[in-house]
Amino acid sequence: MIVPFGHVLILATLLFLLGACCVVARRELLMILIGVEIMLNGAALAFVAAALRWQLADGQIFALFIIAVAAAEVAVGLALIVAARQRTGAMHGDDFNRLRG
Amino acid sequence: MNMNILAIIFYLLGALLLTTTALAVTRQQPVHAVLFLIVSLVTVALLFLLLGAPLLAAFQVILYAGAIMVLFLFVIMTMPDRDPGLDRFLRRRWLTPLFLCLLIGISMLLLIDLDPVATLDLAAARVEPRTFGALLFNRYWYAVELVSLLLFVGLAGAHYLGRQKS
Amino acid sequence: MTMMHFHLTFLLLFPLAGAVSMICCLPMGGRPLPRRVGETIACGASAGAFVMAGLAMWTMGDEPFRKVFWQWMAGPEFSSEIAILYDPLAAVMALMVTFVAALIHIYSVPFMRQESDYLRYFFLLNLFVFCMLTIVLADDLLFLFLGWEGVGLCSYGLIGYWYRDPANCLAGRKAFLLTRIGDAALLIAIAIFFSHLGTLSLTAINQQAVDLAPGLITLAGLLLLFAAMAKSAQMPLQVWLPDAMAGPTPVSALIHAATMVTAGVYLLMRFLPLLSLSPGVMLAAALVGAVTALLGAAAALTQRDIKRLLAWSTISQVGFMFLGLGAGSLAGSMFHLLVHGFCKSLLFLGAGCIIRLLRDEHDIFRMGRSLRLRHPPLFAAFAIGVVALAGLPPWAGFFSKGEILAAVFYHPGPGYRLLWFMALLAALLTAFYAFRLLLLVFFGAPPPDADEKRDPVFEPLPALMPALLWPLALLALAGGLLNCPLAMPGGHWLSGYLGTAPAPPGGEGSISDWGLLGLDGLIALVGLGLAWFCHGPADRLGWRLAAAPESTAHAVLRNGYGLDSFYRLLVARPYQAMAGFLWKRVDEKLVDDSLTGAGRSLLTTGRLLGLWTTGRLTTALQSLLWGAAAIFGLLLLGIWRALP
Repeated sequence: MIVPFGHVLILATLLFLLGACCVVARRELLMILIGVEIMLNGAALAFVAAALRWQLADGQIFALFIIAVAAAEVAVGLALIVAARQRTGAMHGDDFNRLRG
Repeated sequence: MNMNILAIIFYLLGALLLTTTALAVTRQQPVHAVLFLIVSLVTVALLFLLLGAPLLAAFQVILYAGAIMVLFLFVIMTMPDRDPGLDRFLRRRWLTPLFLCLLIGISMLLLIDLDPVATLDLAAARVEPRTFGALLFNRYWYAVELVSLLLFVGLAGAHYLGRQKS
Repeated sequence: MTMMHFHLTFLLLFPLAGAVSMICCLPMGGRPLPRRVGETIACGASAGAFVMAGLAMWTMGDEPFRKVFWQWMAGPEFSSEIAILYDPLAAVMALMVTFVAALIHIYSVPFMRQESDYLRYFFLLNLFVFCMLTIVLADDLLFLFLGWEGVGLCSYGLIGYWYRDPANCLAGRKAFLLTRIGDAALLIAIAIFFSHLGTLSLTAINQQAVDLAPGLITLAGLLLLFAAMAKSAQMPLQVWLPDAMAGPTPVSALIHAATMVTAGVYLLMRFLPLLSLSPGVMLAAALVGAVTALLGAAAALTQRDIKRLLAWSTISQVGFMFLGLGAGSLAGSMFHLLVHGFCKSLLFLGAGCIIRLLRDEHDIFRMGRSLRLRHPPLFAAFAIGVVALAGLPPWAGFFSKGEILAAVFYHPGPGYRLLWFMALLAALLTAFYAFRLLLLVFFGAPPPDADEKRDPVFEPLPALMPALLWPLALLALAGGLLNCPLAMPGGHWLSGYLGTAPAPPGGEGSISDWGLLGLDGLIALVGLGLAWFCHGPADRLGWRLAAAPESTAHAVLRNGYGLDSFYRLLVARPYQAMAGFLWKRVDEKLVDDSLTGAGRSLLTTGRLLGLWTTGRLTTALQSLLWGAAAIFGLLLLGIWRALP
């Protein structure tokens, strides 16, 4: 017996919401990306807790996939940020508004 | 709530996690944020270990904290200095997200609270790496192939995006 | 009776065909027909109608002739037909109407010589004659109503003939609207008749009138009286007639002297069997007539404009006709109608000649004795008209008024003596203003500002215009013979023809009979004397009256007792205010602006929504969080409601 399942979920939720705050409130592209990472971590934590709750290993496998996807996404994202910085000299979310309607 | 040693460890780790993450989110310098994030990721790995996923904890440290965050640091280091005033802390910028997240948090809390299953204490268990690997490559081989394809696409994309204009 | 059928059909068809052919004479793309052709067709149609009226009267037998032309409407409970009833009453009226109409058509030809728009004039005039004959002949109430409305329409068109001056259009509209009020009453009466008797035929209604409840008879009678009052310009609905003088003078002569204003009287005559069943209605009619006669004569006394004076005189004389009907004397009322028709149209046509001669001068204080010296035949004809109107014995007006006054005097009903006295006063005033008119127009001193040495220059007058006055003058002179009260050869011919009892209760040739006649003659002579005193050669009052500022009483009388302002204040202003409100606040603000506002609000909504599309990354991320929060908020709501 460790802790009630709900507590772990609450922890995962708080982590996720922290990541969401970081994404929305920060303007720099890098910080936004960091926020996304935090959110992914929260999701992975929830999966692992669920795996323990139902005594199945499949949750942990999905957490592994989350890590893999996070890696791919970070690679491409950072490459995008670097390329954008080189082309426009801007690293700020507000500066990219060419899609204005 | 049974206050045994594992529970205490869990709550301590939880507090540490939340603190470091909050700190990571609110730093002005990206390097500071990344460092705090590394600590937070390692804490998550410890939590994985507590929740019976030793292999996953290892992967978390190696891949996430070890590779991804290092990549972040590389990119931050190579970026020229930017104007520090651009991202200053503004209360009003944080107010709306905090409020919205509060809303979401409260509803999640209620949902979890209403679930009768949520009060169950978790039974401590452990997934051996061998079992984990067997399950991964037996039942989820298709997903593994797809994820490897995804990694390849990421590689190719990063390569393309990072090419120098000749 | 096919000859009668033939005569009556063509009596109605000739004016209608005349009107339609006016349309055909319009220049439609090609060269217009010569003017003479159009004028000849119009006058020919009118004259043809007169011939037909005469023939019909000649061939009429003892029984009234009733003919249904065709079924107009036929429903399960309701039916209406085009039917005519030709009895002695209709015969006499038709003959008078067509005679005066034919004369006026011919008079109009030289009168309208300068107008290029003559086709419209003759079209309206012919259509008017057709509608008036419809009223005269109709046996079906809806057919009668058709004619009733038609004369109102033609009157409106003819009053506002010179439509380019907005004052004329206003006068036409005023006439139309006021008679419309009466038409509403007539429609209600028609509805009452149909709902209670199930028929719209005049003969049937008059026969079955005894079956109705007395209250209903009184109600229907009062409604008919009200309709007649509006059409015949009785008090208090007379405000349209003085203003209607804005139309051409022949129009005033035809419509507002001889025919349309008598349509109301004629309606009451047609319904006399019904109306005489209710003493209340008869008293009301007599009262209206007496009051109008007196007040109309008083107002005529103060007028300066010759046509307005004649208009007020018409109002007063039609009042006499109402009084006669109210006293139950059909013959007396009809006699006065005929005599007045001849006199008044004579006076109006004469006035037309005078106005044309003096180059559009309407003010009687600006005419003068040179008129008499240069145009003696005109003076003679006009004088005959005046004398006949004033009731000087032994001319026609004396006998017709005398008949009415006798009928009122001998009527057994309550209050009739007072009415007789009022009518006597009105007769006095009639003589007064009639001779005043004659003296001022033809004997007056020229205006002080005119050059005494030189003769005024007269416009040339087409010879046909004064010549046409003479047939009317002869009839005005000799008209008294139609219904002499005394035991003379050919006496009481009209009463006998109309089939009503002639003898007064006092017996023919009795002392009271003679006394009344003597009193009537005396009154007329007193009126002559008064006029001579005031406006005679000594000219005591003439220019002093004209030059001095008007006293209040004088102004009130001249303005028609302030009824115009009263109606404007009570009816027109609130209606205008309401119309303005409905136009500006409801139609423009509420309806139009709300539609515009709806469109504009859509635009604004779109613009506001457009602020969301910044294209920035930050906005997109924020929107994601908002969306998630919205979903969870709904979830929260659901949880909260599902809680016990």
